[in-house]
Amino acid sequence: MDKSFIYQSRIDSLRSRKFAQTRDKIEVEGLLDEDDYGRVLPPANAWKSIPNHPDGSFYGLEGWSQNFCNMMDSHPVYVDPNDAFAGRWVYFMSRMRSNKWHPDYPFDHLKENIAKYDIIAGIGDDAHFAPDYPLGLSLGWQGILDKIDQYRKINTEPEQILFYDAHKQAVKSIQGWIERHIVMIEQMIQTETNPELRANLVEMAETNRNIVSKPPQTLSEAIQWIIWYHLASRTYNRDGAGGQIDEMLRPFFEKDLAEGRIDRQKTIYLLACFLLNDTIYWQLGGPDKDGVDQTSEISFLILDAADKANCSINLTIRVHDGMNEELFTKSLYYLIKNKNAWPRYSGDKALVEGFMKNGFDAQLARQRIAVGCNWMSLPGLEYTMNDLVKVNMAKVFEVAFQEMIQDQSADPSTTRLWNIYTSHLAKAVRTAADGIRFQLKYQKYNEPELILNLLSHGPLERGHDVSDGGAEYYNLSIDGAGLAIVADSFAALQQRIELEKKTTWKEVNYHLNDDFEGIEGEKIRLLLKNSQHFGQGNSIGDQWAKTITSEFTRLVRRESNPAMKHTFIPGFFSWANTIAFGQHVGPTPNGRKGKTPISHGANPCPGFACDGASLALALAVADIQPGFGNTAPMQWELDPTMATSDYIGLIGSIIKTHFELGGTLINVNIMDKNTILDAHKDPAKYPELVVRVTGFTAYFSMLTPEFRQLVVDRILEN
Amino acid sequence: MKGLITTIQRMSLHDGPGIRSTVFLKGCNMHCGWCHNPETLYVNPELEWIRQKCIGCNSCIEVCQSGAFSLKEGKPEFQKTLCTSCFDCVSVCYAEAINKVGREITPEEVFAEVEQDFPFFKSSGGGVTISGGEPMLQAEFTAKTLTLFKSAGIHTALDTNLSVSWKQYDKVLPFTDLVLADLKLMDDALHLKWTGKHNAVILENIYKLDSSGIAYFIRTPVIPGINDNEQEIKAIVAFVASLKNLKKFELLPFHTLASCKYTNLEIENPMGATRDLPKEKMEQLRQILK
Repeated sequence: MDKSFIYQSRIDSLRSRKFAQTRDKIEVEGLLDEDDYGRVLPPANAWKSIPNHPDGSFYGLEGWSQNFCNMMDSHPVYVDPNDAFAGRWVYFMSRMRSNKWHPDYPFDHLKENIAKYDIIAGIGDDAHFAPDYPLGLSLGWQGILDKIDQYRKINTEPEQILFYDAHKQAVKSIQGWIERHIVMIEQMIQTETNPELRANLVEMAETNRNIVSKPPQTLSEAIQWIIWYHLASRTYNRDGAGGQIDEMLRPFFEKDLAEGRIDRQKTIYLLACFLLNDTIYWQLGGPDKDGVDQTSEISFLILDAADKANCSINLTIRVHDGMNEELFTKSLYYLIKNKNAWPRYSGDKALVEGFMKNGFDAQLARQRIAVGCNWMSLPGLEYTMNDLVKVNMAKVFEVAFQEMIQDQSADPSTTRLWNIYTSHLAKAVRTAADGIRFQLKYQKYNEPELILNLLSHGPLERGHDVSDGGAEYYNLSIDGAGLAIVADSFAALQQRIELEKKTTWKEVNYHLNDDFEGIEGEKIRLLLKNSQHFGQGNSIGDQWAKTITSEFTRLVRRESNPAMKHTFIPGFFSWANTIAFGQHVGPTPNGRKGKTPISHGANPCPGFACDGASLALALAVADIQPGFGNTAPMQWELDPTMATSDYIGLIGSIIKTHFELGGTLINVNIMDKNTILDAHKDPAKYPELVVRVTGFTAYFSMLTPEFRQLVVDRILEN
Repeated sequence: MKGLITTIQRMSLHDGPGIRSTVFLKGCNMHCGWCHNPETLYVNPELEWIRQKCIGCNSCIEVCQSGAFSLKEGKPEFQKTLCTSCFDCVSVCYAEAINKVGREITPEEVFAEVEQDFPFFKSSGGGVTISGGEPMLQAEFTAKTLTLFKSAGIHTALDTNLSVSWKQYDKVLPFTDLVLADLKLMDDALHLKWTGKHNAVILENIYKLDSSGIAYFIRTPVIPGINDNEQEIKAIVAFVASLKNLKKFELLPFHTLASCKYTNLEIENPMGATRDLPKEKMEQLRQILK
């Protein structure tokens, strides 16, 4: 029987409900420069956290397990008869505390430099590494409990006993949450009059009953299991890491299909429900550990399902030499058809070769996949602090420039400025690395990773939190932000003062102090702004960008400590911090006015190229890759006139060429100028408009006016 | 050897297959009323003034010896007729409101600028296109430039109005993979009126091109009020149908995107009042091709 109409109407209903929920969140909670996450509003009598410290916050194993279990015991249940799966998350537990770092473990020794260089140190931040979902699918909740019991008998230090008991309680509270959903579904079956929906609820109840303890056996059960885990993990601390979703689900799909439990229409429906549930980051295609492409029929069905759901979706296509071209082409078709910023693309070659430079083999490197905002991770194997630690390089530049100007013992020059800059950059990177080392030492007392530990290889086996020696690898991320601001500033000073002698250090400094006010200020600002930028190709700015990249990479890499298994990996990414970072930096010699946003991630400054911006961007970003397996993403605002089927091949060739040249990740927006301007004026008119803000997608209507302006500027200027 | 170009446009998508860089040569022997590259019409460098970019610093007035820039109601005003093309004002205009259009460049320098995009050409089946203006007015430069790219294994295209002597083409075509030829009007009187040239040489050259063995496309710009009628398009189509080796024939709709260029260059725009060709009209004319 053709049920495609029924499935489509259910998906449409779920989409409408999702957009209504997003609207409700905006009305009640206000705007948010973040992903939508699929979260729904908490009830009026919302759960409140239970402090275990005089400062009103909660810390450590006891604090987190007590709060998590208590919260899960009263967590609202959520069942929609149109949905194939139960559950939504409502609480940002990690944000429901008055303080995110345990005051008994002060890091005052780092605070001066953190402030001086505007570092986001990541101390007390959480998640941002990936769980091994297949491990969970093979064990099921009871299997995880058995594993906890098994190692509790081996690792018997008091702190470890507490560790295991906390995890056990957490799992049991998740099971209790699932059981309460089953009760609700059974109640709804009694009252549901629509036979189709009733049958759906019966199936949903059975699916859930089968996985409360046991590992999933069918595709529905596998997806529902994944949903419960990620909803719990989201609730705990916003973790949104995914995995290789096609290969993860393939055995279940193939078995169901062979045994007649499922057809392709239903598979698409199940997958659409799954994608509507949350915006977790999943990878499609790409090589397995031996280099064989993992694309299978379900890879295509996931794309078809994403097309049906067409909301905020984070699918990444892994581009590699042995890629399935059909999958790639289909993904491009959906990219331009929906113009909803999905999928995005990661470049296998540079990621694998780069990661191997850290001393890892190709098999391991290929398993480090796109599972986060801008980041790659080895699911279940590493602790990373990906996307959590950032050095505002523009602020470091400001510190260096002022020091040079104030110290009149020598004449100013770009050579001298570079020497001062690198000494401060070294201090900034050292501070960021010290912050990470501090986190590795004390985070377990602050916020243990109760949920992510469950699907990591090592924490349960060793009885140590993943942040505390539990993980197999510590591949620690430090991102630079504001690269283009710094490169263009050096280039402007060198070109306009030293090479052309069109202005002087004194004059530039005068106008910097005055934020380029007045007609003379504006004239000098434009002189500097119109100098040779990073991104123009073989320009002075490009040279500086490469020099800065090389130094930043060296400084981050030298923080590694093989004896401690600490590998520090550099990247360029600013996430949504471009506005806040910019507010902390005065006017810069690239003609940027004070307190305006810094450049975005690895991108050149907006307006860097008159034409051919896509190629210039692809070349420039490929050219400044740190090259050790973390990303410096290319944020691509693709001209909407190219978004036709005629140009699929050309878009594909730009993507492939960027990766061939060393690129690591491409985030794409295809936004019509008039639409984005109108949406900026009246966001409520466009509740379904999705933009890829940085690594993540977000509903445009959820962004603050400042951030909307940033996205609008980026799109218009490129 | 140096040529005079206006720009090298990266990621050109309409001047041949794949992703291309198009080199626009300055100077044209036709003056088509609808020209969308008016900056390429004249053979000498000229001044472009983008009024919207002017910040009113008046530096241009301070250096202008000819009085082409003067103060009017507190703001700079430009009179092109007074300009002696000394270009002193360009270097003092930090806002880049004043630009010199036309730069001398060697074929080697063109190659060096374009080279960075070779990876995109290779992955997309693209290459380099020499356009204009009329590139055959600088045939030696065009030939040398095409030779460099051809030798590097890059696909080459020549965008020409085919109105110069075939002997000139002999210098260039050995290094050309694809010719993009224009055929604007079959009616010779109208052709003369709107382009300043008869079309006899063009038609003759098209036949020569057809028998040369070189791949070529013919493109007809469809201009409101000039050739956007069935009679003219049918005449062109009938001619095109007589060709044996034509790879592609295209109708290109007139657009108004060039109007700001006329303003900035202070060149009178003969089609200034003409609007974009309606899509329906274009579709109707495209039906003739079928």
